[in-house]
Amino acid sequence: MTKDDVVAVIVENILDNLDDVEEGEIDTSKSMKDYGANSLDIIEVVSTSMRELKIKIPRTELADIDTIDSLADKFLEYVNK
Amino acid sequence: MDDVLKFSFADFFFNDSENVLNPPSDFQEWMQDPRVQYGFSFFEQQLLKAPRAKTEILSNIDGKKRSVINLTSYNYLGLSTHPEVIEAAIEGLKKYGLGASGAPLLSGTFDLSVKFAKMLADFKEKEACLLYSSGLGGNMGAIQGLLRKGDYLIMDEKCHKSLVDGGTLSGAKMQFFKHNDIEHLNQLLEKYKDKRILVAIEGVYSMDGDLAKLPEIVEVIDQYPNVAIYIDEAHSTLMFGENGRGVAEHFGLEHKMGITFGTLSKSFGGVGGFVCSNKDIIRYLQGYSSPYNFSCAPAPSIVAGLIKALEVATRDSSLRDKLWKNTEYFKKGLLDLKLDIGETESQVIPIIIGSDGNMLFEMAAELQTKGLFLQPVDFPAVPAESRRFRISVSTQLSKEDIDEALNIIEDVIAKRLKTI
Ligand SMILES: Cc1ncc(COP(=O)(O)O)c(C=O)c1O
Repeated sequence: MTKDDVVAVIVENILDNLDDVEEGEIDTSKSMKDYGANSLDIIEVVSTSMRELKIKIPRTELADIDTIDSLADKFLEYVNK
Repeated sequence: MDDVLKFSFADFFFNDSENVLNPPSDFQEWMQDPRVQYGFSFFEQQLLKAPRAKTEILSNIDGKKRSVINLTSYNYLGLSTHPEVIEAAIEGLKKYGLGASGAPLLSGTFDLSVKFAKMLADFKEKEACLLYSSGLGGNMGAIQGLLRKGDYLIMDEKCHKSLVDGGTLSGAKMQFFKHNDIEHLNQLLEKYKDKRILVAIEGVYSMDGDLAKLPEIVEVIDQYPNVAIYIDEAHSTLMFGENGRGVAEHFGLEHKMGITFGTLSKSFGGVGGFVCSNKDIIRYLQGYSSPYNFSCAPAPSIVAGLIKALEVATRDSSLRDKLWKNTEYFKKGLLDLKLDIGETESQVIPIIIGSDGNMLFEMAAELQTKGLFLQPVDFPAVPAESRRFRISVSTQLSKEDIDEALNIIEDVIAKRLKTI
Protein backbone atom coordinates (compact mmCIF):
# COMPACT_ATOMS: atom_id res chain seq x y z
CA MET A 1 0.00 0.00 0.00
CA THR A 2 1.29 3.46 -0.91
CA LYS A 3 0.86 6.73 0.86
CA ASP A 4 -1.59 7.84 -1.82
CA ASP A 5 -3.80 4.85 -1.00
CA VAL A 6 -3.77 5.81 2.65
CA VAL A 7 -4.55 9.43 1.88
CA ALA A 8 -7.43 8.29 -0.33
CA VAL A 9 -8.96 6.34 2.55
CA ILE A 10 -8.69 9.33 4.91
CA VAL A 11 -10.12 11.75 2.37
CA GLU A 12 -13.05 9.47 1.69
CA ASN A 13 -13.84 9.34 5.38
CA ILE A 14 -13.55 13.10 5.69
CA LEU A 15 -16.07 13.48 2.89
CA ASP A 16 -18.37 10.96 4.57
CA ASN A 17 -18.22 12.61 7.96
CA LEU A 18 -18.02 16.33 7.33
CA ASP A 19 -20.70 18.42 5.69
CA ASP A 20 -19.83 21.22 3.33
CA VAL A 21 -16.51 19.77 2.13
CA GLU A 22 -15.92 19.06 -1.55
CA GLU A 23 -13.55 16.40 -2.84
CA GLY A 24 -11.16 18.65 -4.79
CA GLU A 25 -11.00 21.11 -1.95
CA ILE A 26 -9.01 19.02 0.52
CA ASP A 27 -5.42 20.07 1.00
CA THR A 28 -3.57 17.40 2.94
CA SER A 29 -1.10 19.85 4.41
CA LYS A 30 -4.00 21.22 6.43
CA SER A 31 -5.76 19.98 9.55
CA MET A 32 -9.25 18.54 9.51
CA LYS A 33 -10.10 21.41 11.82
CA ASP A 34 -9.59 23.75 8.89
CA TYR A 35 -12.57 22.04 7.30
CA GLY A 36 -14.81 22.58 10.30
CA ALA A 37 -14.15 19.24 12.04
CA ASN A 38 -14.48 19.16 15.81
CA SER A 39 -12.60 16.70 18.00
CA LEU A 40 -15.45 14.17 17.81
CA ASP A 41 -15.50 14.35 14.00
CA ILE A 42 -11.75 13.78 13.94
CA ILE A 43 -12.05 10.69 16.14
CA GLU A 44 -14.71 9.41 13.77
CA VAL A 45 -12.54 9.92 10.68
CA VAL A 46 -9.46 8.47 12.35
CA SER A 47 -11.27 5.42 13.72
CA THR A 48 -13.14 4.54 10.55
CA SER A 49 -9.97 4.98 8.51
CA MET A 50 -8.00 2.71 10.85
CA ARG A 51 -10.73 0.13 10.62
CA GLU A 52 -10.55 0.16 6.84
CA LEU A 53 -6.77 -0.04 6.90
CA LYS A 54 -6.89 -2.82 9.50
CA ILE A 55 -4.52 -1.06 11.86
CA LYS A 56 -4.84 0.04 15.46
CA ILE A 57 -2.84 2.95 16.83
CA PRO A 58 -3.32 4.07 20.42
CA ARG A 59 -4.87 7.53 20.70
CA THR A 60 -1.99 8.61 22.89
CA GLU A 61 0.28 8.30 19.83
CA LEU A 62 -1.92 10.48 17.70
CA ALA A 63 -2.09 13.44 20.05
CA ASP A 64 0.55 15.56 18.31
CA ILE A 65 -0.58 14.98 14.75
CA ASP A 66 -1.94 18.15 13.24
CA THR A 67 -2.24 17.65 9.48
CA ILE A 68 -3.94 15.09 7.24
CA ASP A 69 -0.55 14.42 5.70
CA SER A 70 1.16 13.55 8.97
CA LEU A 71 -1.80 11.35 9.89
CA ALA A 72 -1.28 9.46 6.63
CA ASP A 73 2.43 9.03 7.43
CA LYS A 74 1.61 7.60 10.83
CA PHE A 75 -0.96 5.24 9.34
CA LEU A 76 1.48 4.09 6.68
CA GLU A 77 4.05 3.26 9.35
CA TYR A 78 1.56 0.85 10.91
CA VAL A 79 0.25 -0.53 7.59
CA ASN A 80 3.80 -1.56 6.72
CA LYS A 81 4.57 -3.06 10.14
CA MET B 1 -1.24 -6.42 21.45
CA ASP B 2 2.27 -5.86 22.71
CA ASP B 3 1.91 -2.35 24.05
CA VAL B 4 -1.27 -2.75 26.12
CA LEU B 5 -0.45 0.10 28.44
CA LYS B 6 -0.57 2.59 25.60
CA PHE B 7 -4.21 1.80 25.02
CA SER B 8 -7.15 3.24 26.92
CA PHE B 9 -10.91 3.53 26.69
CA ALA B 10 -10.28 6.08 23.95
CA ASP B 11 -9.30 3.24 21.62
CA PHE B 12 -12.21 0.83 21.64
CA PHE B 13 -15.21 3.04 20.96
CA PHE B 14 -15.72 1.69 17.45
CA ASN B 15 -16.73 -1.92 17.45
CA ASP B 16 -16.32 -4.06 14.36
CA SER B 17 -17.37 -7.43 15.75
CA GLU B 18 -20.16 -8.97 13.67
CA ASN B 19 -22.56 -9.37 16.55
CA VAL B 20 -23.31 -6.12 18.40
CA LEU B 21 -23.49 -8.06 21.66
CA ASN B 22 -19.80 -8.90 21.39
CA PRO B 23 -17.34 -6.18 22.35
CA PRO B 24 -14.41 -5.60 20.00
CA SER B 25 -12.10 -8.65 20.08
CA ASP B 26 -9.04 -6.60 20.92
CA PHE B 27 -10.95 -4.95 23.77
CA GLN B 28 -11.35 -8.36 25.40
CA GLU B 29 -7.69 -9.09 24.95
CA TRP B 30 -6.77 -5.69 26.39
CA MET B 31 -9.12 -5.96 29.36
CA GLN B 32 -7.83 -9.39 30.31
CA ASP B 33 -4.23 -8.33 30.45
CA PRO B 34 -3.14 -8.42 34.12
CA ARG B 35 -1.50 -4.99 33.85
CA VAL B 36 -4.73 -3.46 32.60
CA GLN B 37 -6.76 -5.26 35.23
CA TYR B 38 -4.48 -3.89 37.88
CA GLY B 39 -5.23 -0.35 36.68
CA PHE B 40 -8.95 -0.99 36.75
CA SER B 41 -8.79 -2.44 40.23
CA PHE B 42 -8.66 1.14 41.54
CA PHE B 43 -12.09 1.85 40.19
CA GLU B 44 -15.42 0.79 41.60
CA GLN B 45 -13.99 0.05 45.02
CA GLN B 46 -16.75 -0.38 47.57
CA LEU B 47 -17.37 2.18 50.26
CA LEU B 48 -18.51 0.45 53.43
CA LYS B 49 -19.63 3.63 55.18
CA ALA B 50 -20.99 7.09 54.35
CA PRO B 51 -18.74 9.30 52.18
CA ARG B 52 -17.55 11.33 55.17
CA ALA B 53 -14.04 12.78 55.42
CA LYS B 54 -13.16 9.58 57.24
CA THR B 55 -14.67 6.47 55.79
CA GLU B 56 -14.00 2.81 55.15
CA ILE B 57 -13.45 1.03 51.85
CA LEU B 58 -13.15 -2.54 50.73
CA SER B 59 -9.87 -2.22 48.90
CA ASN B 60 -9.70 -3.89 45.49
CA ILE B 61 -5.92 -3.93 45.79
CA ASP B 62 -5.77 -6.63 48.44
CA GLY B 63 -9.41 -7.33 49.33
CA LYS B 64 -8.97 -5.79 52.79
CA LYS B 65 -11.23 -3.39 54.63
CA ARG B 66 -9.41 -0.16 55.22
CA SER B 67 -10.12 3.05 57.16
CA VAL B 68 -9.20 5.98 54.98
CA ILE B 69 -9.15 9.75 54.83
CA ASN B 70 -11.50 10.45 51.97
CA LEU B 71 -10.20 12.96 49.42
CA THR B 72 -12.27 11.65 46.55
CA SER B 73 -16.00 11.96 47.31
CA TYR B 74 -17.76 15.13 46.13
CA ASN B 75 -19.35 15.67 49.52
CA TYR B 76 -17.74 19.13 49.54
CA LEU B 77 -19.88 20.64 52.29
CA GLY B 78 -20.53 17.43 54.17
CA LEU B 79 -24.26 17.79 53.55
CA SER B 80 -24.81 14.17 52.57
CA THR B 81 -24.36 13.26 56.22
CA HIS B 82 -25.49 16.46 57.92
CA PRO B 83 -27.76 15.44 60.83
CA GLU B 84 -30.52 17.88 59.89
CA VAL B 85 -30.46 16.69 56.29
CA ILE B 86 -30.68 13.07 57.31
CA GLU B 87 -33.54 13.86 59.68
CA ALA B 88 -35.46 15.69 56.94
CA ALA B 89 -34.87 12.83 54.49
CA ILE B 90 -36.18 10.31 57.02
CA GLU B 91 -39.31 12.39 57.52
CA GLY B 92 -39.74 12.62 53.75
CA LEU B 93 -39.21 8.91 53.39
CA LYS B 94 -41.84 8.13 56.01
CA LYS B 95 -44.38 10.45 54.51
CA TYR B 96 -43.85 9.88 50.78
CA GLY B 97 -42.16 6.51 50.52
CA LEU B 98 -39.04 5.68 48.57
CA GLY B 99 -39.59 6.81 45.02
CA ALA B 100 -41.79 9.15 42.96
CA SER B 101 -43.54 6.35 41.05
CA GLY B 102 -44.00 8.40 37.93
CA ALA B 103 -42.72 11.01 35.50
CA PRO B 104 -43.48 14.62 36.51
CA LEU B 105 -46.19 15.12 33.88
CA LEU B 106 -48.56 12.43 35.11
CA SER B 107 -47.91 11.58 38.72
CA GLY B 108 -44.32 12.35 39.69
CA THR B 109 -44.85 15.96 40.77
CA PHE B 110 -45.02 16.28 44.56
CA ASP B 111 -45.65 19.36 46.63
CA LEU B 112 -42.06 18.95 47.83
CA SER B 113 -40.59 19.03 44.33
CA VAL B 114 -42.59 22.16 43.40
CA LYS B 115 -41.41 23.82 46.60
CA PHE B 116 -37.79 22.83 46.03
CA ALA B 117 -37.78 24.00 42.39
CA LYS B 118 -39.15 27.37 43.54
CA MET B 119 -36.48 27.58 46.25
CA LEU B 120 -33.75 26.85 43.70
CA ALA B 121 -35.08 29.44 41.23
CA ASP B 122 -35.22 32.08 44.00
CA PHE B 123 -31.76 31.11 45.17
CA LYS B 124 -30.32 31.44 41.67
CA GLU B 125 -32.36 34.64 41.08
CA LYS B 126 -33.97 33.23 37.96
CA GLU B 127 -37.66 33.01 37.14
CA ALA B 128 -38.05 29.25 37.05
CA CYS B 129 -36.33 25.95 37.59
CA LEU B 130 -36.62 22.45 36.21
CA LEU B 131 -35.63 19.51 38.40
CA TYR B 132 -34.10 16.33 37.02
CA SER B 133 -33.46 13.04 38.74
CA SER B 134 -29.87 13.01 37.46
CA GLY B 135 -27.24 15.70 37.00
CA LEU B 136 -26.04 14.20 33.76
CA GLY B 137 -29.66 13.91 32.67
CA GLY B 138 -30.18 17.60 33.43
CA ASN B 139 -27.33 18.81 31.28
CA MET B 140 -28.02 16.38 28.50
CA GLY B 141 -31.74 17.04 28.60
CA ALA B 142 -31.52 20.81 28.74
CA ILE B 143 -29.12 21.02 25.78
CA GLN B 144 -31.11 18.46 23.83
CA GLY B 145 -34.28 20.40 24.59
CA LEU B 146 -32.86 23.79 23.58
CA LEU B 147 -30.95 23.05 20.38
CA ARG B 148 -31.95 21.69 17.00
CA LYS B 149 -30.30 20.59 13.80
CA GLY B 150 -28.66 23.61 12.20
CA ASP B 151 -27.93 25.27 15.57
CA TYR B 152 -24.44 25.56 17.02
CA LEU B 153 -23.25 24.52 20.45
CA ILE B 154 -19.93 26.21 21.04
CA MET B 155 -18.28 24.95 24.18
CA ASP B 156 -15.07 24.92 26.11
CA GLU B 157 -13.04 21.82 25.21
CA LYS B 158 -12.99 20.84 28.89
CA CYS B 159 -16.76 20.71 29.23
CA HIS B 160 -18.30 17.63 30.83
CA LYS B 161 -19.52 14.66 28.80
CA SER B 162 -23.14 15.39 29.74
CA LEU B 163 -22.98 18.66 27.76
CA VAL B 164 -21.35 16.94 24.80
CA ASP B 165 -23.92 14.17 24.85
CA GLY B 166 -26.70 16.76 24.93
CA GLY B 167 -25.19 18.33 21.83
CA THR B 168 -25.01 14.97 20.06
CA LEU B 169 -28.62 14.17 20.91
CA SER B 170 -29.87 17.56 19.78
CA GLY B 171 -28.43 17.21 16.29
CA ALA B 172 -26.79 20.64 16.60
CA LYS B 173 -23.26 21.14 15.33
CA MET B 174 -20.64 21.28 18.04
CA GLN B 175 -17.47 23.32 18.08
CA PHE B 176 -15.00 23.32 20.94
CA PHE B 177 -12.87 26.32 21.81
CA LYS B 178 -9.50 25.83 23.45
CA HIS B 179 -9.82 25.89 27.18
CA ASN B 180 -10.64 29.42 28.33
CA ASP B 181 -9.18 30.78 25.09
CA ILE B 182 -11.17 33.94 24.45
CA GLU B 183 -9.60 34.62 21.08
CA HIS B 184 -10.55 31.16 19.83
CA LEU B 185 -14.08 31.58 21.16
CA ASN B 186 -14.33 34.86 19.32
CA GLN B 187 -13.15 33.26 16.06
CA LEU B 188 -15.84 30.59 16.32
CA LEU B 189 -18.54 33.14 17.13
CA GLU B 190 -17.49 35.23 14.16
CA LYS B 191 -17.52 32.18 11.88
CA TYR B 192 -20.97 30.98 12.88
CA LYS B 193 -22.63 34.28 13.79
CA ASP B 194 -25.47 33.74 11.33
CA LYS B 195 -26.58 30.62 13.22
CA ARG B 196 -28.46 30.17 16.48
CA ILE B 197 -25.69 29.75 19.04
CA LEU B 198 -25.48 28.51 22.61
CA VAL B 199 -22.12 28.84 24.38
CA ALA B 200 -21.57 26.28 27.15
CA ILE B 201 -18.99 26.70 29.89
CA GLU B 202 -18.40 25.49 33.42
CA GLY B 203 -17.99 27.61 36.53
CA VAL B 204 -15.28 25.34 37.97
CA TYR B 205 -13.68 22.86 35.58
CA SER B 206 -13.85 19.46 37.15
CA MET B 207 -10.42 18.01 36.33
CA ASP B 208 -8.35 21.14 36.97
CA GLY B 209 -10.35 23.15 39.47
CA ASP B 210 -9.81 26.38 37.54
CA LEU B 211 -12.59 28.85 36.81
CA ALA B 212 -14.16 30.02 33.57
CA LYS B 213 -12.74 33.40 32.58
CA LEU B 214 -16.22 34.74 32.84
CA PRO B 215 -15.67 38.50 32.51
CA GLU B 216 -13.70 38.04 29.28
CA ILE B 217 -16.14 35.46 27.93
CA VAL B 218 -19.10 37.74 28.59
CA GLU B 219 -17.34 40.69 27.00
CA VAL B 220 -16.82 38.74 23.77
CA ILE B 221 -20.29 37.25 23.69
CA ASP B 222 -21.87 40.65 24.29
CA GLN B 223 -20.67 41.68 20.85
CA TYR B 224 -22.98 39.15 19.24
CA PRO B 225 -26.73 39.55 19.53
CA ASN B 226 -28.71 36.47 20.52
CA VAL B 227 -25.80 34.31 21.64
CA ALA B 228 -26.89 32.69 24.89
CA ILE B 229 -24.67 31.44 27.71
CA TYR B 230 -25.19 28.11 29.48
CA ILE B 231 -23.15 27.76 32.63
CA ASP B 232 -22.64 24.45 34.41
CA GLU B 233 -22.08 25.22 38.09
CA ALA B 234 -21.81 21.57 39.19
CA HIS B 235 -18.64 22.20 41.19
CA SER B 236 -19.40 25.75 42.33
CA THR B 237 -23.02 26.00 43.50
CA LEU B 238 -23.35 26.58 47.27
CA MET B 239 -19.63 27.33 47.43
CA PHE B 240 -18.65 30.33 45.29
CA GLY B 241 -19.96 33.88 45.60
CA GLU B 242 -21.02 36.02 48.52
CA ASN B 243 -24.25 34.05 48.87
CA GLY B 244 -23.02 30.75 47.52
CA ARG B 245 -24.84 31.04 44.22
CA GLY B 246 -21.78 30.09 42.19
CA VAL B 247 -19.00 31.40 40.00
CA ALA B 248 -21.34 33.73 38.10
CA GLU B 249 -22.15 35.42 41.41
CA HIS B 250 -18.45 35.45 42.28
CA PHE B 251 -17.83 37.54 39.16
CA GLY B 252 -21.02 39.61 39.53
CA LEU B 253 -22.29 38.35 36.17
CA GLU B 254 -25.35 36.28 37.00
CA HIS B 255 -27.64 38.49 34.90
CA LYS B 256 -25.59 37.53 31.83
CA MET B 257 -26.12 33.81 32.29
CA GLY B 258 -29.06 32.78 30.14
CA ILE B 259 -29.37 29.40 31.76
CA THR B 260 -27.62 27.97 34.75
CA PHE B 261 -27.19 24.31 35.65
CA GLY B 262 -26.38 22.71 38.97
CA THR B 263 -26.11 19.18 40.20
CA LEU B 264 -27.63 17.99 43.46
CA SER B 265 -25.06 15.25 43.90
CA LYS B 266 -21.95 17.18 44.91
CA SER B 267 -22.17 20.11 47.36
CA PHE B 268 -25.87 19.32 47.95
CA GLY B 269 -25.01 15.78 49.01
CA GLY B 270 -27.99 14.11 47.31
CA VAL B 271 -28.65 13.17 43.71
CA GLY B 272 -30.30 14.93 40.76
CA GLY B 273 -29.80 18.07 38.71
CA PHE B 274 -31.54 21.34 37.88
CA VAL B 275 -31.55 24.19 35.41
CA CYS B 276 -32.79 27.72 36.07
CA SER B 277 -33.72 30.25 33.41
CA ASN B 278 -36.63 32.43 32.26
CA LYS B 279 -40.04 30.92 32.87
CA ASP B 280 -41.02 30.66 29.21
CA ILE B 281 -38.04 28.55 28.19
CA ILE B 282 -38.42 26.37 31.28
CA ARG B 283 -42.05 25.79 30.31
CA TYR B 284 -40.90 24.87 26.81
CA LEU B 285 -38.23 22.50 28.14
CA GLN B 286 -40.85 20.69 30.21
CA GLY B 287 -42.26 19.51 26.92
CA TYR B 288 -39.03 18.81 25.06
CA SER B 289 -36.43 17.66 27.55
CA SER B 290 -36.60 13.88 27.57
CA PRO B 291 -34.81 13.14 30.87
CA TYR B 292 -37.44 15.39 32.47
CA ASN B 293 -40.64 14.27 30.83
CA PHE B 294 -39.86 10.65 30.00
CA SER B 295 -38.13 9.65 33.21
CA CYS B 296 -39.25 9.15 36.77
CA ALA B 297 -39.22 12.36 38.83
CA PRO B 298 -36.68 12.85 41.65
CA ALA B 299 -37.47 10.72 44.70
CA PRO B 300 -39.47 12.80 47.21
CA SER B 301 -37.45 11.28 50.05
CA ILE B 302 -34.30 12.73 48.50
CA VAL B 303 -35.98 16.05 47.71
CA ALA B 304 -36.95 16.36 51.39
CA GLY B 305 -33.28 16.04 52.31
CA LEU B 306 -32.23 18.43 49.55
CA ILE B 307 -34.61 21.16 50.76
CA LYS B 308 -32.92 20.98 54.13
CA ALA B 309 -29.48 20.88 52.51
CA LEU B 310 -30.23 24.13 50.67
CA GLU B 311 -31.49 25.71 53.90
CA VAL B 312 -28.45 24.63 55.90
CA ALA B 313 -25.98 25.77 53.23
CA THR B 314 -27.57 29.18 52.80
CA ARG B 315 -28.70 30.20 56.29
CA ASP B 316 -25.17 31.41 56.95
CA SER B 317 -21.77 31.08 55.32
CA SER B 318 -20.19 28.78 57.89
CA LEU B 319 -19.96 25.65 55.74
CA ARG B 320 -18.37 27.37 52.77
CA ASP B 321 -16.13 29.47 54.99
CA LYS B 322 -14.75 26.29 56.49
CA LEU B 323 -14.38 24.76 53.02
CA TRP B 324 -12.27 27.72 51.85
CA LYS B 325 -10.21 27.62 55.01
CA ASN B 326 -9.52 23.91 54.47
CA THR B 327 -8.79 24.51 50.79
CA GLU B 328 -6.26 27.26 51.51
CA TYR B 329 -4.55 25.17 54.15
CA PHE B 330 -4.39 22.12 51.91
CA LYS B 331 -3.12 24.10 48.93
CA LYS B 332 -0.41 25.74 50.98
CA GLY B 333 0.74 22.34 52.19
CA LEU B 334 0.91 21.00 48.64
CA LEU B 335 2.77 24.05 47.39
CA ASP B 336 5.24 23.71 50.27
CA LEU B 337 5.87 20.21 48.91
CA LYS B 338 6.52 21.88 45.52
CA LEU B 339 3.87 19.76 43.86
CA ASP B 340 2.28 20.82 40.57
CA ILE B 341 -1.33 21.73 41.35
CA GLY B 342 -1.98 23.42 38.01
CA GLU B 343 -4.17 26.50 37.91
CA THR B 344 -6.66 25.50 40.57
CA GLU B 345 -8.71 28.26 42.16
CA SER B 346 -11.20 26.03 43.92
CA GLN B 347 -11.77 23.08 46.23
CA VAL B 348 -10.84 20.77 43.34
CA ILE B 349 -7.07 20.41 43.52
CA PRO B 350 -5.14 18.29 41.03
CA ILE B 351 -1.71 16.89 41.80
CA ILE B 352 -0.26 16.54 38.34
CA ILE B 353 2.40 13.87 38.11
CA GLY B 354 3.02 13.73 34.34
CA SER B 355 2.85 11.10 31.62
CA ASP B 356 3.98 8.01 33.53
CA GLY B 357 0.86 5.88 33.88
CA ASN B 358 2.68 3.08 35.70
CA MET B 359 3.95 5.44 38.33
CA LEU B 360 0.46 6.90 38.74
CA PHE B 361 -0.98 3.51 39.66
CA GLU B 362 1.95 2.53 41.84
CA MET B 363 1.52 5.71 43.80
CA ALA B 364 -2.24 5.15 43.98
CA ALA B 365 -1.72 1.74 45.57
CA GLU B 366 0.74 3.10 48.07
CA LEU B 367 -1.50 6.03 49.00
CA GLN B 368 -4.33 3.64 49.67
CA THR B 369 -2.34 1.19 51.74
CA LYS B 370 -1.15 4.15 53.82
CA GLY B 371 -4.76 5.19 54.47
CA LEU B 372 -5.61 7.80 51.85
CA PHE B 373 -8.55 7.42 49.49
CA LEU B 374 -7.21 9.53 46.64
CA GLN B 375 -8.05 8.22 43.21
CA PRO B 376 -5.81 8.36 40.13
CA VAL B 377 -7.15 10.13 37.06
CA ASP B 378 -5.78 8.66 33.87
CA PHE B 379 -5.99 9.38 30.13
CA PRO B 380 -8.45 9.90 28.40
CA ALA B 381 -10.18 11.72 31.28
CA VAL B 382 -7.16 14.03 31.34
CA PRO B 383 -4.37 14.62 28.76
CA ALA B 384 -1.83 11.77 28.59
CA GLU B 385 1.01 14.08 29.61
CA SER B 386 -0.73 15.33 32.73
CA ARG B 387 -2.02 12.28 34.55
CA ARG B 388 -2.91 13.18 38.08
CA PHE B 389 -4.54 12.71 41.41
CA ARG B 390 -7.48 14.94 42.12
CA ILE B 391 -8.33 16.09 45.61
CA SER B 392 -11.89 17.06 46.49
CA VAL B 393 -11.55 19.15 49.63
CA SER B 394 -14.38 18.81 52.13
CA THR B 395 -15.63 21.00 54.93
CA GLN B 396 -15.59 17.87 57.09
CA LEU B 397 -11.80 17.49 57.02
CA SER B 398 -10.13 18.50 60.27
CA LYS B 399 -6.72 20.15 60.38
CA GLU B 400 -5.34 16.85 61.66
CA ASP B 401 -6.85 14.97 58.69
CA ILE B 402 -5.23 17.39 56.27
CA ASP B 403 -1.88 17.19 58.07
CA GLU B 404 -1.97 13.43 57.90
CA ALA B 405 -3.01 13.47 54.25
CA LEU B 406 -0.13 15.83 53.48
CA ASN B 407 2.30 13.53 55.27
CA ILE B 408 1.20 10.59 53.17
CA ILE B 409 1.32 12.67 49.99
CA GLU B 410 4.82 13.78 50.90
CA ASP B 411 5.97 10.20 51.45
CA VAL B 412 4.38 8.73 48.38
CA ILE B 413 4.29 11.48 45.78
CA ALA B 414 6.68 14.29 46.65
CA LYS B 415 9.58 12.02 47.62
CA ARG B 416 9.18 9.93 44.49
CA LEU B 417 8.94 12.95 42.21
CA LYS B 418 11.87 14.43 44.15
CA THR B 419 10.13 17.76 44.43
CA ILE B 420 11.56 18.11 47.91
C1 LIG C 1 -19.18 19.55 35.32
C2 LIG C 1 -20.16 18.47 35.59
N1 LIG C 1 -21.40 18.56 35.08
C3 LIG C 1 -22.32 17.60 35.30
C4 LIG C 1 -22.04 16.49 36.05
C5 LIG C 1 -23.09 15.44 36.24
O1 LIG C 1 -23.59 15.44 37.50
P1 LIG C 1 -24.09 14.10 38.24
O2 LIG C 1 -22.86 13.31 38.61
O3 LIG C 1 -24.80 14.63 39.42
O4 LIG C 1 -24.96 13.35 37.30
C6 LIG C 1 -20.77 16.38 36.63
C7 LIG C 1 -20.39 15.26 37.51
O5 LIG C 1 -20.32 14.14 37.23
C8 LIG C 1 -19.80 17.37 36.37
O6 LIG C 1 -18.56 17.26 36.86
